Amino acid sequence: MSRSADPRADIATERGAVTLQAVTKRYGDQTAVDALSLDIQPGEFLSLLGPSGCGKTTTLRMIAGFEHPDEGDIQISGRSVLGTPAYRRDVNTVFQAYALFPHLTVAENVAYGLQQKRVPKLELRERVAAALEMVQMRGFADRKPTQLSGGQQQRVALARALVNRPAVLLLDEPLGALDRQLREEMQLELKLLQAQLGITFVFVTHDQDEALSMSDRIAVMRDGRIEQLADADTIYARPASAYVAAFVGQQNFFDGVVAPDGAGVDSPRAQLRPATPLSGFAAGDAARAAVRPEFVELSADRPSGNVNIASGDVIGVSHLGEMLQFLVQLDEQTAVLSRRPTPDAPALSVGDRVWATWRPDAVQVFPAGDAAARSGYVPPPTAAQISDP
Amino acid sequence: MRNLRLPGFALAIPAWVWLAVFFIAPVGVVFWYSFGYKPGLFGTHANDKLSLDRYLEVLTPTFFDTFVATMWIALAGTALCLVIGGPVAYWMAVKSPPAWRGLLLALVLVPFWTNFLVRTIGWQVILAPEGWASQAAQAIGLPAFDILYTRAAVLLGVVYNYLPLMILPLYVAFDRVGEPLREASRDLGANRLRTFWRVTLPLARPGIIVGVLLVYIPLMGDYITATVLGGAKGNMVGQMVAAQFQTAQNWALGSAMAVTLILVIVLSAGVVGALLWLVSWPMRRANRLVLGEVGS
Amino acid sequence: MAANDDVRILASRAAAPIVRRELSRRGFLAVAGGVGTTMLLAACTTPGGDPAPAATGGTLENALSIYTWGDYDAPEVLEAFTSEKGPRITLDSYGSNEEMIAKLVAAKGTSGYDIIVPTGVFIPQLIENGLLYKLNRDLIPNIEHVDEAYLGRVWDPNNEYSICKAWGTTGFVYDKTVIQRELKTWDDFFDAAKNEASGKTSVLDDPVEITGIYYWANGIDWDTTDPAEIDAAEKFLLEELAPHISAFDSYPGGAAIPQATHALMQVWNGDARLGIMNSPDPDRWQWVLGSPATELWMDNWAISASAPHPEAAHAFLNFVLDPEYAVAQIDYIGYHTGAKGIEQMAEEAGLGMLDMVFFTPEQLATMQDGEINEAQERNVEIWNKLKAAAGA
Ligand SMILES: Nc1ncnc2c1ncn2[C@@H]1O[C@H](COP(=O)(O)OP(=O)(O)OP(=O)(O)O)[C@@H](O)[C@H]1O
Ligand SMILES: [Mg+2]
Repeated sequence: MSRSADPRADIATERGAVTLQAVTKRYGDQTAVDALSLDIQPGEFLSLLGPSGCGKTTTLRMIAGFEHPDEGDIQISGRSVLGTPAYRRDVNTVFQAYALFPHLTVAENVAYGLQQKRVPKLELRERVAAALEMVQMRGFADRKPTQLSGGQQQRVALARALVNRPAVLLLDEPLGALDRQLREEMQLELKLLQAQLGITFVFVTHDQDEALSMSDRIAVMRDGRIEQLADADTIYARPASAYVAAFVGQQNFFDGVVAPDGAGVDSPRAQLRPATPLSGFAAGDAARAAVRPEFVELSADRPSGNVNIASGDVIGVSHLGEMLQFLVQLDEQTAVLSRRPTPDAPALSVGDRVWATWRPDAVQVFPAGDAAARSGYVPPPTAAQISDP
Repeated sequence: MRNLRLPGFALAIPAWVWLAVFFIAPVGVVFWYSFGYKPGLFGTHANDKLSLDRYLEVLTPTFFDTFVATMWIALAGTALCLVIGGPVAYWMAVKSPPAWRGLLLALVLVPFWTNFLVRTIGWQVILAPEGWASQAAQAIGLPAFDILYTRAAVLLGVVYNYLPLMILPLYVAFDRVGEPLREASRDLGANRLRTFWRVTLPLARPGIIVGVLLVYIPLMGDYITATVLGGAKGNMVGQMVAAQFQTAQNWALGSAMAVTLILVIVLSAGVVGALLWLVSWPMRRANRLVLGEVGS
Repeated sequence: MAANDDVRILASRAAAPIVRRELSRRGFLAVAGGVGTTMLLAACTTPGGDPAPAATGGTLENALSIYTWGDYDAPEVLEAFTSEKGPRITLDSYGSNEEMIAKLVAAKGTSGYDIIVPTGVFIPQLIENGLLYKLNRDLIPNIEHVDEAYLGRVWDPNNEYSICKAWGTTGFVYDKTVIQRELKTWDDFFDAAKNEASGKTSVLDDPVEITGIYYWANGIDWDTTDPAEIDAAEKFLLEELAPHISAFDSYPGGAAIPQATHALMQVWNGDARLGIMNSPDPDRWQWVLGSPATELWMDNWAISASAPHPEAAHAFLNFVLDPEYAVAQIDYIGYHTGAKGIEQMAEEAGLGMLDMVFFTPEQLATMQDGEINEAQERNVEIWNKLKAAAGA
């Protein structure tokens, strides 16, 4: 799934490569994009992931040419495009609201870009037909966009962009308006199309699942900067900061201090010990440890050992299909979330006293003073439902 | 509590009543009078004998000449309003800083705060041979400025009085096209000019038509603007209609003139529309695309 | 004038009176607004309603409603009536006789107006339609203060329905810097229009005033219905005058004279006087009474047949005819009110340019009454043709 990030010297000049160098964009006294640098490789599927207002759209619009950076340089296929107007960039966009031309038919919408390039009529018809075929909209060629469903409009928008065979395709939350099932279908189709066409995709989303399932690499953005750029596995398993850890997947956080022997973090409710001793921390430093819910095991009996263990009361049990999810209250401020595969899940119900344990290699430690201030379970952007039985 | 449900058309009833009372009824009355005659010196109209004679009386060379002059002023005035108002509306809706737009719209409407006749007479004062415009011209060494009672003054007054009626619908039309569609067009390789022709203009067309009709129709019936600033050169057919109702007290003939005027307005608007449609036909044809069986 | 502030305009203060005047008597506004309203209202022309109670000199009602030309009475006179006699006055205004008639006809006796001020030529039409109240002359003894010369005119020979309110006549004004010779007659007017003042000439915007110039110049009866005479007038005006006309303007005194827009203007005397008084350079202008003949138009006090306050209306007529108020009225409106001895009073009061208000008996003898007759339709037709020709 992941592509090696081997930076060969000439790869940045190939068609489809995109390079942003210390790009900054300000609106008044607000900095929307802050000295952002990013190398996108030809044919790569790169997602920009981050919360609302972090600068994803602004970054995309600068690549497309609708906004101009205040500082820095943007290169497409190895050439700076700072002076190139949007209509001459080898880039096409699938807009969040599709922006289909309401006065043109589906076929005319798709033909629009080719008409601008004065593609001969015969070739134009064939390419339009092929593009519509590709998104399975051939039968709707003569309809107006208002006569289409949201998913159909989305496909037309995709065909309208792809028919131009751009070096880079920019997609700004293209699936945001679709319902969940359609979205998942389209995710798959998009990914297949991208693999088949070999076009660079820069995909903006604030849906972490979407980013994780589709991307070669994910750039997690925060306040106009890139917090971490890596493949999905790395982002998930080895987040570079508590911010990334909190944003991608779900986390249990424990705030505390570095233990005197430097072996882990001591928090009021638990002593957390990772598999390897901490480096870069001094004893007594404030630190934050994180454990993902799927690594938290629960049992009614006290397991052996004093570290990587905490006790509390079950206050919520919910079914997530193949998973069961438990919320365990440690004290008034702290709760721990545990997620177990349904077949192996312990038979626990609300009110039971339980012990939570986790393996050392599930523990990650970050410097404190970062991201969410509350310790314990940090709700992800899409909060899981807790049901009271 | 009982839930009172109104049928959907109920919301439109006030509009229909308004239309019926203030448009259809008066036009119907005028239509009816136009088949009558003037009964004696002190009567204004009678309908006990119906005929088309009044229409024959309408069709005189005088009426025709006046009609041509009126049409000239109305068409030239509408064209000027479009040529001047179009770019202004486009600039306001597309290029101006969004924060200014409310203020700009208010400024466009400022002249409406004053009575229309008073405003027009204000221009008479400005344009008089010894008025401000002339004095200003002489102050900077130009010859005295004497355009009052010329067609130029008429058109100036027309543009001044009718420009807001053109700008407002055009502004709304350009504004409704929206930045996203223009960006999509540029994203697909069209420069600003091509974007204007292929996206902005076609989508703004209903607004443009509204603006043109909103100026052209009242202008055909207006003679105040024209006579105040154009004097003899501002003779309009509306004046003849008014003369029949007022001075001649011949409502039958006045009505026949009014009906003829209405017919010509409708007809000429239709002709202009058809011409525009024809002129734009090649362009629409060039961009039309019916896939048929290609490639499938 | 007190009402200056009522008119909100974006012009200088100096322009305000001009604009205001355009909005008042016989102004454009009436023409603009009149057509639509009269059409809807006038679906039926039979006046009806119960006849108003006769005025017998009983106690006055406490209200009085006057329907008149805009800005046509000195406010202090109206105020004096209310404070001395009691009835509170409501004023409503019209811009043309036709508008006023249409409203009275349409209201079918429910208009609520007591006093109206029709121009003489319309009085026969009002009488025929039963719109006027037969005056109880016993209640208007002050009619004795009205000069005999202005009573008993053709439209109401015995003043059964109306009494002179103000009258005027027609002449022309020319710019002496453009026309450097003396003009005296309508023939001179035509000659100057064709020469020095070509393209700088305006005539009154009224069909009978324009055909009148030709008839007055040629010793033809102004009220002629002879087709040959009418055709001759049409031919002359279209061929000789139309090419030189730059405007049809009933109120050149409002703007054209003060702003020197035209060099030669047909104009009513009171309006000419006002225009010259308002001109920055009054000596530039010369007023000439139309000659050898001209018109005499007269607006008249009358009472509506359906007057709800006939006692108060009669009391008001008697009140305004009192010589005490004659000067105030003449100063305010600039036209002769018909009162006896008013010339002397006006001179004593120091009013200016009185030669444009008062005329010698010889001049008065040249002034003809107008009439609405079968020629009206042709006059309107000629008027329209002239406009089409002048606008071409
Ligand atoms: N035209 C603009 N004028 C002023 N500020 C802007 C403008 N466009 C964006 N911003 C600001 O820049 C910041 C980044 O905006 P951007 O649209 O790039 O966010 P985003 O990551 O796409 O968010 P979302 O997920 O909500 O779409 C935001 O704080 C926004 O308010
Ligand atoms: Mg966005």
